[in-house]
Amino acid sequence: MRSTKTRARGRWSALAGLGAAAALVLTACAPPGAAPDDEGGGGGGGEQGGTLKVGYISPITGNFAIAGQEMVDGWNLYWELNGDEVNGVTVETIVEDDAGNPETSLTKAKKLVELDEVDIVVGPLLANTALATAAYTSSVGIPNLHPVAAADDLTQRSANDLTVRTGSMSGSQMNYPGGKWAAEQGHKTAVTLCPDYAFGWESCAGFKQGFEEEGGEVVAQYWFPNGTSDFSTYVSQIQSANADIAFVGTAGGAPGPDFLKSYLGLGLGQSQPLLMNCCGMDQATLRALGSEIVGFNSVSWWAEGRDSDTVREFSEAYGENFEGKIPSANVAGGYMTASLVAKVLEENGLVTGADLVSAIADTTFDDSIFGEVSFDDYNNFVGPVYIREVQEVDGKYLNVPIETYENVDQWLGKDPEEALSQPTYSQSFQGE
Amino acid sequence: MNRSRIVGVIAIVALIGVGVALPYLGTTAYVISLVSTIIIAGMLAATVNFLVGDGGMASLGHGGIAAASAYGAGWASKQGFDPGMQVVVAIGVTLVVSFVYGLLSMRTSGIYFLMVTLALGMVVYGLAYRLSTVTGGENGITGIRRPEWIFEYWTFYYFILGAFILTTLLLWVVSRSPFGASLRGIRDSESRMRSLGYSVASYKLAAFMMSGTLAGFAGLLAVWHTHFVSPSAAGVHRSVLLIVMVILGGVGTVFGPLIGAAIVVLVENVLSNSIERWPTILGLIFILVILFARDGIMGSAAKLVRRMQRRDPSPPDDTAPPLGGAEEPIPPRETTQSHASRKELP
Repeated sequence: MRSTKTRARGRWSALAGLGAAAALVLTACAPPGAAPDDEGGGGGGGEQGGTLKVGYISPITGNFAIAGQEMVDGWNLYWELNGDEVNGVTVETIVEDDAGNPETSLTKAKKLVELDEVDIVVGPLLANTALATAAYTSSVGIPNLHPVAAADDLTQRSANDLTVRTGSMSGSQMNYPGGKWAAEQGHKTAVTLCPDYAFGWESCAGFKQGFEEEGGEVVAQYWFPNGTSDFSTYVSQIQSANADIAFVGTAGGAPGPDFLKSYLGLGLGQSQPLLMNCCGMDQATLRALGSEIVGFNSVSWWAEGRDSDTVREFSEAYGENFEGKIPSANVAGGYMTASLVAKVLEENGLVTGADLVSAIADTTFDDSIFGEVSFDDYNNFVGPVYIREVQEVDGKYLNVPIETYENVDQWLGKDPEEALSQPTYSQSFQGE
Repeated sequence: MNRSRIVGVIAIVALIGVGVALPYLGTTAYVISLVSTIIIAGMLAATVNFLVGDGGMASLGHGGIAAASAYGAGWASKQGFDPGMQVVVAIGVTLVVSFVYGLLSMRTSGIYFLMVTLALGMVVYGLAYRLSTVTGGENGITGIRRPEWIFEYWTFYYFILGAFILTTLLLWVVSRSPFGASLRGIRDSESRMRSLGYSVASYKLAAFMMSGTLAGFAGLLAVWHTHFVSPSAAGVHRSVLLIVMVILGGVGTVFGPLIGAAIVVLVENVLSNSIERWPTILGLIFILVILFARDGIMGSAAKLVRRMQRRDPSPPDDTAPPLGGAEEPIPPRETTQSHASRKELP
């Protein structure tokens, strides 16, 4: 018994030794795939024909499925309307679902880049997924376009040469003119209510800085946690703040209509002037409340009721394809990104890598669906911001612009260095 | 060595062999990265499995511990510290968080334990979400670098593989030790162990510290793998998926968590490429396993092997199944070395 045990132990140690030796040998020499390949980085340019492979990451399942699907619909709509061949280049799109989870976005981005060998990655939607993906794609030399993501840092502290915000503005940028407008209307004091996370902090910071720059004063700031459905306490806080105007931001979805129902229910509709943000007063809210909120104001870089041929064409095409619906900012972002890619291909032929990004950054639109658009040195969207009013047009409720602030950039009237040296926005820091 | 143990050893050696050879089999960096994800998830699930399997404590907060460790490393990286310092901060945060978890949950069991860990996980999530000056809020922390010597994806893969083997071995040894046996005693009857003079709470705390420390280690590996951490890593969703992995693979089995992790990660990342309704598929797999393989895939396989052996004419082997849940009796009070409760005895 003893001898077999010792023998067994001897065999064990031999096996272990063998294993260790094998492991050492194997790790000493790199596997065949490990050699760094430096494609992409520099990018090719100006060839005729060929295929531009696009990897499109969006949350098509999970909590953000509606917004994610809209973002994909906008992109697909453009290619359906205009054909997927531009200047001899075929645009091929592979859509991947990340369910709003940054780890999944990263794996999907790796899959798209390494297995499918895409030339660009578009998306995803949420701030954390967008930042994670942009960090990866820039490290492997693949351009990354963001149709919807609004995180300030995407084109500020985490900006890089390969990441472009193509179809939306940053959270503070899109609300800054709202503050200016409110002050210009003669309001002296304001109260704000925003969701209690990065997007909300950025949104309210944008409004506050615009308002105070024009001589107004923000007297109180309230924050609601995500998932709030009963806004009556917030509405009474707004009421008791007794400010000239209330600014209310949401990130889209149910909070917009929920807030407005409390607001109207407590009878503030006539007495308390109100300015909402892009997403609190979007089509979902208009569909839910319609006639009750005619005349209400909001601030956004997207206005579906703008009197322009490009917007009309886009809205009609979207309505035909999607049961008469009116396009949201997410659809518009996807569509805008597609038209941007198409324009670059039209002017340059097939370009990839850094060349593609610089071509995009050099592109300007005189009248896109968002109006006159260009891109700044940090690859952020520069364009008009609209003060909108809910109006009934041909039986449909639309956000119609009543005032336009042209060429709004992300620096809120500061120079970039100064803006970047500030801390990121939070409840306690809302900009100076 | 009896036959079933030989089979087990051969299977393990083959598994390690495949793991080691994988980068040489013409796999792309993507496949290696996917396998790395599976191994890290499997490691994290194994720490949950240790608590559930041996201690009967189902934790819904392990995602929070791993995330806390990841945030520690992320914060250190944001301050410009080198990777060595990242490890120190990550371990420090992990120990503190695990201790708090353990302290608050050591007197609870069953559903109450579940609730306490769930609440603590939510606290970590809330802090990650709200303490934006430290954690970057919803945006998370990007650009976290791992040490130079494991910078290449394949060297990092070997590092993870080695870490996984070590962790598994460690958990296996602990589970087979008198400590593990006492833990199982607590799982089966807390009152009996208490009347035998065991300090149940300290055992639970110790088990939690071990599990939490390893979970934190897995969290560190995860952040080195993705270079990135955000509040979603601490979310309930992640912690629930860990429990799903454990149940799919088989509670109390050594390799169950890895198999469960493989299923979940592959459905989430690969099946979702072709099937839009992949969450449904994951749900269906879970329901099928619960209905037809109550002991999980690994547990049921071990049961099947045992049943076939019983039909075999060769002498049956009843001492300690190789991979399935170990069911040895509680050691008599005298054989265990020393523990805190000894003084309580008259």
